Amino acid sequence: MIDIVVIGAGAGGLAAAITAKEKNKKVLLIERESTLGGILNQCIHNGFGLEVFKEEYTGPEYAHRYIEKLISLKIDYLLDTTVTKLEKLSEKFIITMTSEEEGIKKIEAKSVILTSGCYERTRGHISMPGDRPKGVFNAGSAQRYLNINGYMVGKKVFILGSGDIGLIMARRMTLEGAEVLGVAEIMSYSNGLNRNIVQCLIDFDIPLFLSHTVTNVIADENNNLKEIIIQEVDNNFNPMINTEKHFFVDTLLLSIGLIPDITLLDELSVKVDPKTKSVEVNQAYETSVRGLFVSGNSLQVHDLVDNVTKESERAGLCAVEYLNKENNEAEEIRILAGSNIGYVTPQRLDFSWNSSLIISFRTNKKMEKAICKVIQDDKVVYKKRLMFLVPAEMETISFDYQILNRTSDIKVVLEELS
Amino acid sequence: MFDYIIIGAGIIGSMVARELSKYECKVLVVEKENDVANVQTLANSAIIHAAYNPEPGSLKAILNIKGNYMYDQLEKELDIPILRCGAYVVAYNEIEENELDRLADIAAQNGVPEFSVLSYSEAFKKEPNLSSNVTKVLSLPTTKVTYPWEVAFAAMENAIKNGVNLKLNYQVTGIKKTNDYFEVEINNQDIINSKYLINAAGVSSDDIAKLIEKQPKFLIKGRKGEYFVIDRRYGDFVNHVIYPLPTEAGKGVLVTPQVHGEVLLGPNSIWVDDKNHPTTTFEGLKYVKDHSKTLINNIPYDRIIRSFAGVRASSNHEDFYIKESEEVKGLYHLGGIESPGLSAAPAIAEYLVNEIMQVNNKYELNKSYNPIRKKPIPYYDLDENKQKELYAANNLYGRIICKCERITEKEIIDAIHGTLGSSTIKGIKKRTRAGAGLCQGGYCEEKVMKIIARELNVSPLEVAYDKKESKLFTSETKVVKK
Amino acid sequence: MKKEFICIVCPRGCRVVVDGDDISGNQCKRGIDYVKAEMTAPKRVLTTTVKTIFSEWPRVSVKTDKPLPKELLFKAMSDINKVIIDKPLDIGEVVIYNLCNTDVNLILTKSLKGVQK
Repeated sequence: MIDIVVIGAGAGGLAAAITAKEKNKKVLLIERESTLGGILNQCIHNGFGLEVFKEEYTGPEYAHRYIEKLISLKIDYLLDTTVTKLEKLSEKFIITMTSEEEGIKKIEAKSVILTSGCYERTRGHISMPGDRPKGVFNAGSAQRYLNINGYMVGKKVFILGSGDIGLIMARRMTLEGAEVLGVAEIMSYSNGLNRNIVQCLIDFDIPLFLSHTVTNVIADENNNLKEIIIQEVDNNFNPMINTEKHFFVDTLLLSIGLIPDITLLDELSVKVDPKTKSVEVNQAYETSVRGLFVSGNSLQVHDLVDNVTKESERAGLCAVEYLNKENNEAEEIRILAGSNIGYVTPQRLDFSWNSSLIISFRTNKKMEKAICKVIQDDKVVYKKRLMFLVPAEMETISFDYQILNRTSDIKVVLEELS
Repeated sequence: MFDYIIIGAGIIGSMVARELSKYECKVLVVEKENDVANVQTLANSAIIHAAYNPEPGSLKAILNIKGNYMYDQLEKELDIPILRCGAYVVAYNEIEENELDRLADIAAQNGVPEFSVLSYSEAFKKEPNLSSNVTKVLSLPTTKVTYPWEVAFAAMENAIKNGVNLKLNYQVTGIKKTNDYFEVEINNQDIINSKYLINAAGVSSDDIAKLIEKQPKFLIKGRKGEYFVIDRRYGDFVNHVIYPLPTEAGKGVLVTPQVHGEVLLGPNSIWVDDKNHPTTTFEGLKYVKDHSKTLINNIPYDRIIRSFAGVRASSNHEDFYIKESEEVKGLYHLGGIESPGLSAAPAIAEYLVNEIMQVNNKYELNKSYNPIRKKPIPYYDLDENKQKELYAANNLYGRIICKCERITEKEIIDAIHGTLGSSTIKGIKKRTRAGAGLCQGGYCEEKVMKIIARELNVSPLEVAYDKKESKLFTSETKVVKK
Repeated sequence: MKKEFICIVCPRGCRVVVDGDDISGNQCKRGIDYVKAEMTAPKRVLTTTVKTIFSEWPRVSVKTDKPLPKELLFKAMSDINKVIIDKPLDIGEVVIYNLCNTDVNLILTKSLKGVQK
């Protein structure tokens, strides 16, 4: 039987598999695409690896480092193989997968790490009004067509959403000869990294329309996009009259957020956190199903790939710990999201684990300066000052949880400082 | 020379084509769109109503009741999906309760089977999220839901197997009648002749009439309806079709379970000038949201995956307008087929063919007529042994293309090359559901594009999203200007 | 005169304020170098793709090994677009030497080793 099956060979899966293998566990990594590296392959821009390698890499280079290591460690992996079902029977997992080569196949494993990444929110998720023509693409899909397949989805482009993928695509499309007429962001601040505003928009004189959204999409008689209308929104995100701006474009790229992909867990009744739209985990990244771990973008959408790597390395180590773990009588408390906090992971703290506690969270309010407090029984057990908080960026805190009592839940709060 | 030309391959045109294929006559269906069932049939509530509100004695009432029955037979013959979920019409106060009782009377007069009036608490047991403001419910167990696009597709596929001809991208631009036959002009150029002409052009049926009649007896005005679709993984919050009381504007904003597990919210009802081109608006979608939540609690609005607009072919007549033209003999109109048009569709076809046109007096029965059509089985609905057997015969069943809906490469290829094959991204989505799930094609569109290009032996630059000119890509990158 | 820059050297994106000779707000030394260059001759690393003859990877990713003067970005793109890779080069190998007559080389950021034709 395999010790640990890792599903998805992007940044998260590569890191988890390597970590587990280094502890001499029998690991199998399963990937549905025909190459290792996941989305990193299409992220040809730089900005990766500064945290992990203290060096700046492009996406493919970052992936290459881990792929080389995976191969040198002789880790078993399968390509072009889609996992279709995940079940747990008493103490073991049964993984059903399929490929053109072998058809449907079942394997057994003691533990599973899900690193299946995330998917892009579409126009349907935000109920964008208007026609449904050709020319409205998710930024990530257009990025793949452009960078991997070598096709332009259009020549005159508008972008909705100032997330990093949207900004990066504004530059890429411009460099490849398209005209990018603007980027609209429904929030009053950008959701992308500041450096990307500079080097992707300002460098190319592309205007950014804050507090604006797309309120109409207009098709021509061939069902090709011909025009979009944006409007300024009020504090409740309702479009305001007489603020319409018209852009005659053949392409609208959407960079409106990512959602963890946990559809593989449909058959297991795993507890879900409506805030992250992923599963609840404890500090060992273990879900409510014992031995099932989730990390990387399928647990929470990260803004930096380095953090996906680090989180998944920890998940890999925890899966190793699980294989030898005897103490399962869980003293457990909950970790709650308090004021100004959008979500926290992990959602539970389980005292039967040796693993350390790293809490990730996002603010739901832009703040220059804030103090983050962890509260148990009305007492502050930990605090840390933080600067320049924005909802688009993930924050982490870490402390020794042995100082906590094992009966009361803890709450993470953010207090804004002036 | 054709015996019949049917204008329009929506659900009505498809059903009429299949009905005519039972006889020894030459039939051609012309469709202006690039696929069957692309306008009204593609975007509607998908409900086979019980006939609780059409005027007793009207064609709408008679054909709805009959059509509802006929779907049971169609399910077996055409292998189409039917969800027998039943419906609740809800009332909120005494005045509405009186109206509900009046509807129960109509249901009784129309011969709706098994209907009953329930108290809130009785209904609540079967529908736990029913709004507590509801006071009384009309229960209609014979209300069903189907996938209208597939019904039309299946009927047309079956009609083609039985000898009917179909031409897509054929827009009728002129009609003349000389002596005893029609000259139908296509795309402003070719002329095709037929003895009889059937106008099943849906929202455009009055425009067709105007091509030959001086004073058409019916006029179509488009009434738009907007909808949301909720992800099938979160569709279990409702068990029945939930209707408010009907008004002048229609049956109101509904909550409707769908055959594949999704839930539809909508429609609103807005008159539109451009009846061929319904579109969603911010206000319209907001209206649907605000009204759907008065029916049912706990609607997972954050699990909406899609919104769309459809159009109803409302006419200046209360009832369906199914008649031979008063001006031109041999021309038959199917006008004003709005709700309950889908429910009545098979009965409409039978009524037109047998009672109005009396085809049975003109042509012999087609002895080789076979009413059976088999749908391509979704591979992941099969049991594992059957899956293994199919894989052994073709290993492309092993490769999943759409991960959300679990559609394999073999199913995509079959949809490309089928009787009514398609080579567009949208056409494949309608046929296989690849791209209809959670990520809405974010993952599989690229793969489907590559398969289409390979199967048709064309460059990816030739692959269209929908219409022929809606190519997915504008160019390759790195094109060096000479 | 005060001028504010957003440092683009790393994802941290420090806001660096220049007031005469005084530079503040940077969290590391590279911020100073960045701002100095930005005020005189701004440079950018260019990342893009190059055509190949390989069907498995019809485009392959490349980058400049050093930042390129900003005003040369589009000139560089038009030179890069003319290149077709026909050998299975390795990651880091040079595709174009002295791009736009600078000391900047264009290198592969992905390995084409073992690629199928």
